[in-house]
Amino acid sequence: MSSPAIPMPGSIGRSPDPDVAPPAAVEDILATAQALRWEVGQEFHERLVEAMYTEAARLGDRAVTRPGTEPRFDLDRSIDRVVTSRRWGFPIMILLLALVFWLTIAGANVPSAMLANLLLDQAHPALKGLAAGIGMPSWLSGFLFDGVYLATAWVIAVMLPPMAIFFPLFTLLEDFGYLPRVAFNMDKLFQRAGAHGKQALTMTMGWGCNAAGVVATRIIDSPRERLIAIITNNFSLCNGRWPTQILIASLFIGPLAGTSWLAGAISAAAVVVVALLGVLLMFAVSYLLSRTVLRGEVSSFSLELPPYRPPRILQTLYTSLIDRTLIVLWRAVVFAAPAGALIWLFANIHVGGDSLAGHLVNLLNPFGLLLGLNGVILAAYLFAIPANEIVVPTVLMLTVLTSGLVGQGVGAGVMFDADAAGVLTILKGGGWTLLTGVNLMLFSLIHNPCSTTIYTIWKETKSVKWTTVASLLPVAMGFGVTFVVAQVWRLVAGG
Amino acid sequence: MPAQNPITLDPQTVQGNGNGSTDAPALGPACAACPAHHAANLKRLGVDMADWDYVVALAGNPNTGKSTVFNALTGLRQHTGNWPGKTVARAEGGYEYGGARYKLVDLPGTYSLLSTSLDEEVARDFLLFGRPDVTVVVVDATRLERNLNLVLQVLEITDRVVVCLNLMDEARRHGIVVDDRRLARDLGVLVVPTAARQREGLPELLQAMQEVATGQVHLRPNRVHGEPPALKQALQQLVTRLEAAYPQLPNARWVALRLLDGDERIIQALKQGELGSLTRQAVLA
Amino acid sequence: MTSPLVLLGGTAAVILGLGLLFWPRLGLLARLRGARDYARRVRTEDTLKHLFSLEIDGRRPTLQSVAGALGASPDAVAGLMTELADSGLVDLAQGRISLSPRGRDYAIRVVRAHRLWERHLAERTGYAEVDWHRIAEREEHRLTPEAADALAQSLGNPAYDPHGDPIPTASGELAITGGLSLSSLGPGDRARIVHMEDEPAVIYSQLVAEGLHPGMVLNVLETDGDRTRFWAGGEEHVLAPLLSNHVTVAVLQPEADLPEPGIPLTQLAQGQGATIVGLSPGIRGAERRRLLDLGFLPGTRLFAELRSPSGDPTAYIVRDTLIALRADQARHIRVQP
Repeated sequence: MSSPAIPMPGSIGRSPDPDVAPPAAVEDILATAQALRWEVGQEFHERLVEAMYTEAARLGDRAVTRPGTEPRFDLDRSIDRVVTSRRWGFPIMILLLALVFWLTIAGANVPSAMLANLLLDQAHPALKGLAAGIGMPSWLSGFLFDGVYLATAWVIAVMLPPMAIFFPLFTLLEDFGYLPRVAFNMDKLFQRAGAHGKQALTMTMGWGCNAAGVVATRIIDSPRERLIAIITNNFSLCNGRWPTQILIASLFIGPLAGTSWLAGAISAAAVVVVALLGVLLMFAVSYLLSRTVLRGEVSSFSLELPPYRPPRILQTLYTSLIDRTLIVLWRAVVFAAPAGALIWLFANIHVGGDSLAGHLVNLLNPFGLLLGLNGVILAAYLFAIPANEIVVPTVLMLTVLTSGLVGQGVGAGVMFDADAAGVLTILKGGGWTLLTGVNLMLFSLIHNPCSTTIYTIWKETKSVKWTTVASLLPVAMGFGVTFVVAQVWRLVAGG
Repeated sequence: MPAQNPITLDPQTVQGNGNGSTDAPALGPACAACPAHHAANLKRLGVDMADWDYVVALAGNPNTGKSTVFNALTGLRQHTGNWPGKTVARAEGGYEYGGARYKLVDLPGTYSLLSTSLDEEVARDFLLFGRPDVTVVVVDATRLERNLNLVLQVLEITDRVVVCLNLMDEARRHGIVVDDRRLARDLGVLVVPTAARQREGLPELLQAMQEVATGQVHLRPNRVHGEPPALKQALQQLVTRLEAAYPQLPNARWVALRLLDGDERIIQALKQGELGSLTRQAVLA
Repeated sequence: MTSPLVLLGGTAAVILGLGLLFWPRLGLLARLRGARDYARRVRTEDTLKHLFSLEIDGRRPTLQSVAGALGASPDAVAGLMTELADSGLVDLAQGRISLSPRGRDYAIRVVRAHRLWERHLAERTGYAEVDWHRIAEREEHRLTPEAADALAQSLGNPAYDPHGDPIPTASGELAITGGLSLSSLGPGDRARIVHMEDEPAVIYSQLVAEGLHPGMVLNVLETDGDRTRFWAGGEEHVLAPLLSNHVTVAVLQPEADLPEPGIPLTQLAQGQGATIVGLSPGIRGAERRRLLDLGFLPGTRLFAELRSPSGDPTAYIVRDTLIALRADQARHIRVQP
């Protein structure tokens, strides 16, 4: 077999060398090697590793002097005994996670509001004004500023602050060495679902951003478990979807309680229930995948619990900002800008007496109603494939556009936000019921990943097949779940 | 992949780079101070050497403070990305020392180079085909035995190695004393104790890297292993044949071991004549 | 009235229909023929394999044995034999069925494909052990000799399949392993498992469930009537002849210097130290290499340091590093406390 001319993928330096051996010599070497392999036997690899380690131990012994008696008290072990103990292991874990979330939410509120004020309330009208001032045609300024700019600004305002807090906090825990202990504590649960304990970490990362969660699956070095973690990461309710959940819960679920303080608690509980449902689905889908389509993929478990080290704060801030936050944000912006353009065009191009968006909503409406949703929501989710952050503003804009509500909104193709009461008025005007709210919360959890995540999945797996599965499986499940809920609901409530 | 010859971009490299028989055959006598890396292969591995004199690979087990060493050496002159065509993250950066520009490439942290995990493949291919001028192996002074396993494997592939005995501060705290001079003698390469977090030992590390890169020191790494007699014989047979076919091959023993282990990548390299590009000119020895 | 449009449409439909039926390779007929050819090839190859395995065991094939192996009637097998004799794969001289040299080559090629595929499944995939044979039975008929060579190369030209059987080389050489059946051993005998017959699957899966693997060393404790009671892998096993007949062993000299079996790592209590005596052959491929790289080697000291609050995994200190292993992996590591 001498075919040096065939380039193999990934081959390096195959250009002919002057000092290349004649093919006959190569043949001879390979044949000798093959013959010797029968001689050295099956355990060759083992003996080789053994020889290496024996030599390493010998050299190590010669060079290292250890203190006479091994100190049995060791700070690392003491920390470990607490954070992995039966009594304290899980409470500490939940407490730390809650702390990270609380810091993220509390810390992101102010900068988020400031960014929204700056980018949406100040800069947007200013840009429009400027465009009018220089005599830019209104379609162009609409396309550029109401479409492209607004969608991008919206995504940045919603996404940037929480990510800039969540990821560094997470990285600090990682740097300290605590996260592998979480994987250690949680592994049994994941093992039962055919997954790796480290999936607990990528799942948590997914609560910040699914694309970042998918990238984080690199820590799982077993191919099967890594694929499972990638495909199921979408069931972690991400940063872009929390606001939708919170808004809908407080508009539709909270009021069921009556008193106002209870309403807050109930709507918060509803959001938590949805997030937990996501965890449940993650386990269920992991279980099914590992026992069906992924049965044949290679699986090997290993988990090192590294020594604890004081985290390097500045280094962490820098790398997590650059590596995670900015890269993810950049990709989201790249995808959000065209989406904004598309929404504006659909809302403003009229064919046969109605806008394209209107046609689309009407087309999707029957199917939407079957699922306990409506055409506007499905259309919004089509437009929001690039970034889930723009679902609510798009829903509001499309509702106003298609139901012809007077005195609401700011114009065709212009996304907007309103206070809770205003939003509720608009949605009720669009024919929304409690069922619509509940099913929107469900569908927001169970639908296709955003395009950033899909792209990331493709980059990480380099497989069209798994990218397709990861994209279509959740949306199919979402249709199924909302359909069943809607039918049962209507049967029971007689609606 | 571009068939372009990157060496023409850098006259300085061409001048002394006797190694790259692929790219610059029959050059005049190579000098000891000249870079030993394989610029064409490096380019394929995603490292453009146009602006750099030497390339340094940073290897090590996970959790040895390898990234701390990397950051301490490069500061903010670094960027992160992926290895070409792989979903393995890599960081690279650079620094100047003694008037030469060094490119530092952080290899994935691995326990070994023998298995077939993606990380290990990336690290191994870089050492094997990129032939960095210096390979710094960062080892954890508190867990020397485990870390030396990787050092020994790296030494099989390249002898241009500096062992960075990191986390000396932790070792001191645990009362562990490491005799770095004895280790250096046993391994046959330079060993520099450091505590990268405190920037302790970095000047010495830079100095050692320069000495190896410029060929000021001649390294004779220890490659004696206590393998079973049957293995030794088989190995010897194969090494003899390899050395006859490739007189310049610096790591015939390692290639022989890989062949006996049935390593597909190496068999392929042999069949396609890639092994030729692993050879070095005698001067660089 | 027939409009030209209808006529045109009709013609198009007829052409389309004919195309669907007769298109080379993709048409319905071609597919049917392909399926028939494939079924015939499977039958041929299975027959040759059966003849070959009997030949190795030194037994003589009969029409009935072939019929039994194929699950077909003796009449159909008689027809098949004539066909195979006509194509020069089988000799039917003097009323005896035997393989012709060409037939033997063919059979060895199929065996090679089968064993390579099993090795591939064991090393490169996560399929459970009991699935290997079934999948390999299917794939052996699809693997061309060239593809088999490529597979062999990518696996590092393995010499044995995961059941301990030698894999024939590309040139058709096959190291024939001798050995005794486990049921023939007596008390006090010490032997190494060299092969576990993977057919029928029911019996094989029971052997796998017992935790037996080729390469395992066993000590026979007692032969009580037909049952064999023996110690292997740190556990006691009792096998009925139905099972023990399917295990081939090589008897070891009593003085052979072999490591003590020890106990599975899972039995180590938290905080207890032990020395590794060996890794069971049941842990393979990527997983085995990973354990070796992590330093789980014979002679290594380790401590069971932490247990996860949920009970599994357990973290062990190995060569100054804390590494967590699942019980599933730890039970393959044998230690001496």
